[in-house]
Amino acid sequence: MSAAPRPAGPRFWISAAVGWAVIGWGVYGIFSNSLDTRPANLARFVVGGALLHDLLVAPVVILAGVLIARAVPARFRGPIQAALAVSAIVALFAWPLVRGYGLAANNPTSLPHNYGLNLLIVLGVVWAVAGVAVLLKFRD
Amino acid sequence: MSVRLPEPLQRLTTDPDAPLHQGVYRSALRDERLAAILGAWLGILFSICFVTGLYSHVQQNPVSWLPIPARPAGLYRFTQGLHVVSGIASVPVLIAKLWVVWPRFVSFPVARRLSGLVERVGLFPLVAGGIFMTFSGVANIAQWYPWRFSFTASHYWMAWVTMGSIVAHGGAKWAIARRSLARPSRRPALAEADPELGTDAEGAGAGLTRRGLLTTVAAASGILTLTTIGQTVRPLRRLGLLAPRDPATGPQGRPVNRGAANAGVIDLAQSPFYRLEVTGRVARPLSLDLKDLRALPAHDAVLPIACVEGWSFSAPWSGVRIRDLLAMAGAEPDRTILIESLEPQGAYRTSTLNPGQAADRDTLLALSLDGETLALDHGFPCRLIAPNRPGVLQTKWVNKVVVL
Repeated sequence: MSAAPRPAGPRFWISAAVGWAVIGWGVYGIFSNSLDTRPANLARFVVGGALLHDLLVAPVVILAGVLIARAVPARFRGPIQAALAVSAIVALFAWPLVRGYGLAANNPTSLPHNYGLNLLIVLGVVWAVAGVAVLLKFRD
Repeated sequence: MSVRLPEPLQRLTTDPDAPLHQGVYRSALRDERLAAILGAWLGILFSICFVTGLYSHVQQNPVSWLPIPARPAGLYRFTQGLHVVSGIASVPVLIAKLWVVWPRFVSFPVARRLSGLVERVGLFPLVAGGIFMTFSGVANIAQWYPWRFSFTASHYWMAWVTMGSIVAHGGAKWAIARRSLARPSRRPALAEADPELGTDAEGAGAGLTRRGLLTTVAAASGILTLTTIGQTVRPLRRLGLLAPRDPATGPQGRPVNRGAANAGVIDLAQSPFYRLEVTGRVARPLSLDLKDLRALPAHDAVLPIACVEGWSFSAPWSGVRIRDLLAMAGAEPDRTILIESLEPQGAYRTSTLNPGQAADRDTLLALSLDGETLALDHGFPCRLIAPNRPGVLQTKWVNKVVVL
């Protein structure tokens, strides 16, 4: 997917200049409001998020992809890959709710549902659809 | 310009069996067209988030040259609902985009030209910003704060960093994205371009196709949207399996973000010595007890509470118009009004109304909700309720109206 490198034109340099000026404005804002933004703590989350993705999430997903390619017969692979991807994303999103990290004391309206059960319901629907897709492939 | 690695590392990227060699990533799905489509989706979703986020920022940090209008009454409810819905929907798109382009992050040499280096360095604020914005937003709507910084300030300033990176990246990828988006029919099939890879990756039923991947991403976004949007779109309430709030659960059947106990106002709000003061630039300062307030002409209004975290409900409120109180006190016209709460502390214990908002017919100190006396958690004895306004600025347990 790599294109032969060509000299960058005016569009590249103008958007780079505008883009980096806007980035600079954001960085300036972070440091000039440091009582609120706590730059050192913020940096841990900004850099940490990228590192967590690049060093842990991405390799794990790639490994999972390799394992699926080896373990699952080619013609059923699509639905299984799709269902796994959707399940992982939904579970990731729901995790703080399931664990109740943000549950506020004295507030019955905070996180009112049984998120563990609800996550299982959603995943059940996802895998039911994937199961139907696999069955249809069997019939082909 | 060429940035090269030390020889042993360099070998990692050129040896066909090494993990950093580009040829290792053989999936046909890691291609330009998918990267461009997902990038375009992300660009649209993040831009919606940015614009609606700016609007919310100006609501909470008013500037004199851009006074927030009181109408349309449901505008903030709509823009903030859209902000949270777009942010949630962008989560699967971001994850898929990162997966598709992942091998590029470990490609070497880092850059062959100055422009390549500029582009490559810009990937860091782009990726880190995108991950931070979605993570902090999702954590915030779950009311989970695993950090020490202020969410609003940091989410706001990081939005500029992220948006700037998107502008720079969009300019760098413009030509390549246009090429891969505009002429799908003339694009060679992978099997033509690379017979070996093509037949391996595009063989019948050998895993997800490009369309399959996009459908998967859309399905994931759709599921997250459907299972959360019920917190603001009432008819879809029952589908809100993963919604952090239910618009029909709470005191008087309505949710709250901060109840009376957490605000530390239980005794103050129920004290027989409660008074509402109208002070500041007024001819006749007022001091009204609850009986006085209830004796004043009441006005009804159906207005939404629209939380910055994306949940909302609309309800009938009844109470005293701010403009009537100001007239009674002989307030100077066209002044900004400060509304103060009994809350002893907290970032949102006060809020301001600009002259236009204060003069609106529906800007009330509400004494009742759904025809019942306001519950303690909803702001008893009285709360501000005004059109087109974030929930955190609908100050509860009001005891002072100050004409500035």
